[in-house]
This record gives sequence, C-alpha cells and structure tokens, in this order.
Amino acid sequence: MKNKSPNFGIILFIAIGVVPFAAAFIYALLYSFGVIGVANKGFTTEFWTSVVASGEFFRSFLYSLLIALVAVSISVGGALWSTLKFRKRLEQKFLSFVIYLPLAVPGIVTGFFTFQLFSKGGFFARLSYQLGWITEASQFPDLVNDALAFGIVLSFITMIMPFFVLLFLNVYKNERIEALSVLAQSLGANAKQVTQRIILPILIKKTWVLIVLYFIFLLGAYEVPLILGQESPQMLSVLIIREIKQYDLDKISEGYVFAVMYTLIVSAAAIVLFLPKKRRTYET
Amino acid sequence: MKPKQTLSWKPFVLSAAVLLILFPFVYLVLLSLASEWRFPDLLPSYFGLRNWATILGSEAGLLESFVSSLLISLSVAMVSTTSGFLISRAVFYHPKKNTLTLLAYFPYILAPVVFAACLSFFFLKMGLFGNITGVIVAQFIIAFPYALLFFSSFWNKKVKSYEDLVATLGGNRWQTYIKVLFPLAKGLLLICFFQTFLISWFEYGLTSIIGIGKVQTLTIKVFLFIKEANYYYGALSCCLLIFPPIVLLYFNKRYVFKKLV
Repeated sequence: MKNKSPNFGIILFIAIGVVPFAAAFIYALLYSFGVIGVANKGFTTEFWTSVVASGEFFRSFLYSLLIALVAVSISVGGALWSTLKFRKRLEQKFLSFVIYLPLAVPGIVTGFFTFQLFSKGGFFARLSYQLGWITEASQFPDLVNDALAFGIVLSFITMIMPFFVLLFLNVYKNERIEALSVLAQSLGANAKQVTQRIILPILIKKTWVLIVLYFIFLLGAYEVPLILGQESPQMLSVLIIREIKQYDLDKISEGYVFAVMYTLIVSAAAIVLFLPKKRRTYET
Repeated sequence: MKPKQTLSWKPFVLSAAVLLILFPFVYLVLLSLASEWRFPDLLPSYFGLRNWATILGSEAGLLESFVSSLLISLSVAMVSTTSGFLISRAVFYHPKKNTLTLLAYFPYILAPVVFAACLSFFFLKMGLFGNITGVIVAQFIIAFPYALLFFSSFWNKKVKSYEDLVATLGGNRWQTYIKVLFPLAKGLLLICFFQTFLISWFEYGLTSIIGIGKVQTLTIKVFLFIKEANYYYGALSCCLLIFPPIVLLYFNKRYVFKKLV
C-alpha cells in the first residue's frame, strides 16, 4: 500500500517553502517589466534599460561584494589564527562561555554600538579630545557613514569572527585533528607542515560552504549598512529598499529591477553551492 | 640548569580579547543608565535608573515592545520548529530530496528585507499588513527553510530503520512520533527552537516592511530611537534585546554548533 503522508508533506513544503519565493520573484519580475504597478501602462523594457545604463546596481553590487569579501577574509583569517594559537585556552570554562556572547548581539545593536564608538561625537572622539589629539568633534576622522565603509566592515567582523572561531574549534574537535597532527608528527612532519597540510585544509574543507553562505548573507545585509553606510554607493539591500519604498511611483519599477537582479545572483549562487552533485556520499 | 622562562604573549592577547568582547555589554548598560552626556564629556552628567524606570511606565512603550517581540518570537520558533521537523521528514525521505533541498535554499539565502518588499503586495491583499499576525507569518516564511534544512541529517537510514521497526511491531504513526522520533530528536528540536527564536528576535528589515511601523518590536524601537538621536533609550532597548539571548545561550551553548558541521 502506498504511503500518502509524504505527499501531503511535500505539498506543505511547496506551499510554505517554494510558493512565497516564487510569488515574490514573479511579482518583482512583472513589476520590473511594467506589467503590473500603479503607474505602469504595460510591458516595457525601459526600466531595465534605465537601470543598466545608470550603472547604480553594478556600483552597489561591487561595493557590497568588496565589503563582504574584506569582512569575511579578515574574519576567517583571524578565526583560523585564533584557533591555531589559542585552541586549548579557549576550551576553558570561562572563555568558552565568553566567546559565545557576541552571538547574542543582533546586527542592529552592533551597528548602533559601532556608531556610538566611532562617530564624531562618539566615545573615541571624546577620548581623543580629552587626550588633546583633537580640539573639536569635526576633526575626528570619518569612521562611520564613510566612503571606505570602515564602520560596516568592523561591525561585520565583530559579528562573524566569533562565530568562525567557535566553528573551527568545533571542527577541530569533531574531525580529531589533534590525533591526526600527532600521527603526522610521529611520521616526521614539522609544525609548519602539520599546520599547512593537515589542520588548515581540514578546517577549510569542512567549513567552506558556511564561509560562502556567510559571504552571501553579508552581501544582502541590511541593518548595519542602514546605520553605518553612506548615501552613495549603498549596499544592495539598502539600495533596493530605498528604490522600492520611494514616493516617485515611476521609480518603483526600477527598484524591482534591482530586486530581480539581486535575487537572480543569489539564486545562481545557491545553485552552484547546493546543486546535487554526482558523487559518493556517506550516511551519518 | 633550569630552562630560561620566557614571558608568553598569549595571556595578554586573550585578556584583551575578553575585554573587547565584554566592552559592548558594559558600555550599553552604562549608556542606558546615562543622560545628558554631551561632547566632549567622557562621563555623563547624570547616571542612574531614570531611563530604566520608564520601562515600568508607558512613556516609551518598551515593555509593550518587549512583550510583543517575545510573543512573535515564541510563535515563530514554535511553529517553524514543529512544521520544519514534520515536513522535513517528507522532504528528506523523498527520492528527489536533493532538488527539494535546493528549492529550500532560495528563500533561506535571500535577504529577508528584499523578500518582504517583494511579498508585501500579497500581505496587503490578505489583510496581513501592519499587524502582528502578518509579522509572524512573514517571519515564519524565512524561519521555516532554516528549520527544514536544520533537520536534514536527522532523517537517515538509522532513523528510518527505527520507524520500520515500530511499524513491524504494530505501532501506528502517532506512536512512532511520540515514542521514537520526538525523544530521538529532543536535543535537535531544542536547538532549532532556540535558533528560530533568535532569527525572529533579531529581525528588523522584514518586520519594518510588513509591520509598517505599527508592530513595534524591540529592533524597530532601537532604530526609532537611533533616528530620534535618543541614544539612552536606544541603549536600553539594546540591553532588552541582548539579555534574553544571553540567557538562552548560557543554557544551550553546548548544542549550538553540534549541527553546523
């Protein structure tokens, strides 16, 4: 007898997990081509042409890409270094709890805190004044809402580096890297060879999907760049929401062009990362 | 001869790291207690419980925001964990499970705020715009793929053989869940509940779009206070936002990473 319940489960999965995404994408696509929308008069490619010609999306994409790349590289590099240097100490009771604390801080709080520290009237500006390094607030360098996105990158690093430290510590333990290192040393490998040929390859190989996922999450981050970003170029999500939520009805369609382009890029990344590959897998 | 003792730099670096991690928490608590802290003063001119006292009153509505955030997050966590667990069984036992998993990644990987902006039309049509139910439904839509993917490795051959054993012994579907599957997945269900609670608790962009400012969760309050340049209330909201997850983390930290690799 056929079991019917899995099919009911699949229907629910499609209804909750697939239909909203498909509906949102189709709505944005139709809006971007002028098929729907209050001020639109029918199918047109003018919004796409206008967006491609303006180049704003590509500038914003490149800007977001660079910020995410710098933040992830520094975070992963720093986390690997911390894991290699402090692994044993980080397993102590007090430290093992303290290192979890940054995970309890949401992006909006990190953005707010970074602003409080690095703005022209912030903590470090006050400290600089008291130390006699500056005589008025405007002399303090632009570290938030700045062109180099210092505040955004710093916030991203403080948000994700602790996560990667914990992740690498966990992989180190689960993959029995300690035992493999001892084995390699007993076979004549030196410390540098153990690090370069055993520890780092295992840590990276086991976590690269999560590293790429975090890169994609940062690419679409909203709260932190909303608080700490500059007017132009803006990070992708901030730009998309600014365009979609503006009062000029003619411009909303262009906002949906941005949304469609972003969705296509992110979906392509998901396909590359998670498309079923024909290779042998093992059950856990 | 005794080997020469060298001073290790590691304890200093670690101490500095601990201070750096604790600094935001201390600073936010101090800022929430402060008032009239103008540039270039290094310390505020008022320091006390005045801001915190407003929580008990309704002036800032923070207590209401805290309660509505809690209500939304608990609802989202409960519904997404339960549905994620039950539906993941159908997905991960399905012959096309790899394709279905890929489909689940699309909403998971997309920025929630962009997702919400593209979905807002449908929420408006369904009368779910600007109310708590709408925010719960919208957050559930982004928490559900996470919960579903979270249980991917639970449904393996071993669990399937347990299910078959229960069926062979005459147990029905209900008994399979109650006596076998739920007890087996107890730890995972707890972590999933915790993680989906945090997804909802930390959510700002999606809530601001679907709630259109009428549903004032704590994250919405923080941003409102930032816009008003009321940093003391902003810090106070941040404290309220941070401390429940810390308590949850303390009890769950040993589970958090078990499922990631």
